[in-house]
Amino acid sequence: MLSMLVPIILGAVGYLLIQHGVVKSQATFAGGLVAIVAALLFALAFTPGTFESTILMLFCAMATGGGIGFLTAREPVYAALGFATAVLSISGVMFMQSALFIAAATMIVYAGATIIIFLFVLMFAQQTDLRNYDVQMNSPILAAVIGAIFLATITICVTSSDAMLPIRSDTTRSMSAAAYRPAAAADPSSVNAATTPLVTEEGEAAQQFVPSTTSGLGRSLYTDYLLSVELAGAVLLVATIGAIALAQRPIETQKGTPA
Amino acid sequence: MNETITQNLLVFGGVLFSMGLIGFLTRRSLILMFLSLELMLSGVSVNLIAFSRHHQNYQGQILAIMVLTIAACEAAIALALVVSLYRRKATLDVSAWDELSETLMPKSVEVPSELVAAEMEFPKLTPSGLDPMERPISASFDARSGEMIEGENVKHSEAGTHA
Repeated sequence: MLSMLVPIILGAVGYLLIQHGVVKSQATFAGGLVAIVAALLFALAFTPGTFESTILMLFCAMATGGGIGFLTAREPVYAALGFATAVLSISGVMFMQSALFIAAATMIVYAGATIIIFLFVLMFAQQTDLRNYDVQMNSPILAAVIGAIFLATITICVTSSDAMLPIRSDTTRSMSAAAYRPAAAADPSSVNAATTPLVTEEGEAAQQFVPSTTSGLGRSLYTDYLLSVELAGAVLLVATIGAIALAQRPIETQKGTPA
Repeated sequence: MNETITQNLLVFGGVLFSMGLIGFLTRRSLILMFLSLELMLSGVSVNLIAFSRHHQNYQGQILAIMVLTIAACEAAIALALVVSLYRRKATLDVSAWDELSETLMPKSVEVPSELVAAEMEFPKLTPSGLDPMERPISASFDARSGEMIEGENVKHSEAGTHA
């Protein structure tokens, strides 16, 4: 259990070293990189070794590397590019977890819209030299300690033996439940397979339902969660109106007299 | 096997969340603080999708879509705010807007907890007739008569100065 805390502490120390070394010295930077890579390798020891999980962990490692780049880069444009790397790798993770639609939507919304718009703003606001507020950070040691404690808490909670709940078959949301199988409904011979509990034996892959299709997601979204979709649309509309109202230039400054 | 992968992804979501937390605490540029928030949100999305796979239904993915919607709204509002703030002060430094938190005020205002009437001290009026800057006014000075009095009448004269 305690050995799981080693990569967390290594990662925090590596973050601080890179953070310090970007400004000060190359050797500290290299030491921080070594610490981060060691933390990732250490974390890999806890992962199962199948082909699929290897690719998944590769995406996770890329996302972590992008996040470290985002945290430590001094030029804000490089930080935004590190964030884009992290987001693309996260959508790879979602793709490997068979959430295809959300992977695509994340790629479009985050990497396509948010990053591009904010890069525009950054370049618009960017001066030739680095600003003080980009170079000097607010108490990185305290923040790293807080983050490490937070992550250690999460890790201990998640990896404790009784943390994982049993698979919950929700019958109140019929369209999005695992038991909904159109083929089973059409074929009377396989009705029994749909009504029996989904996982009877541990590790039986044939019984597992993987929520992977976009059509199933859409069916669940527009039947069981129709009200949520309407509310989300209303929130989007309000946010659009608010953004337009906030970004408007004041009328006095348009006429040339400062407000 | 699958439970191990789910646990790993939960830890990965925690890693993303705490990286966003560290970024939000350390960064001083408005845009990068906002991107840290987005990193925290995507950590939560990874969590939801791992649970969707674990429970074998679509509910986690639907909640992830809702998170994505709110993130888009937040991006629009934050961009408008950043642009309008940048237009005022031509800087992205978050500490340029410190004065919104009333820097002129002391950090903690001392509020008297219990004001009991017996403990309150009223200001003592300066007795007329003597120059207070000349010498300290002794307690035996009677303000009513304007003369110094002796010994046992001191308490009476103090009550007189209050009036």
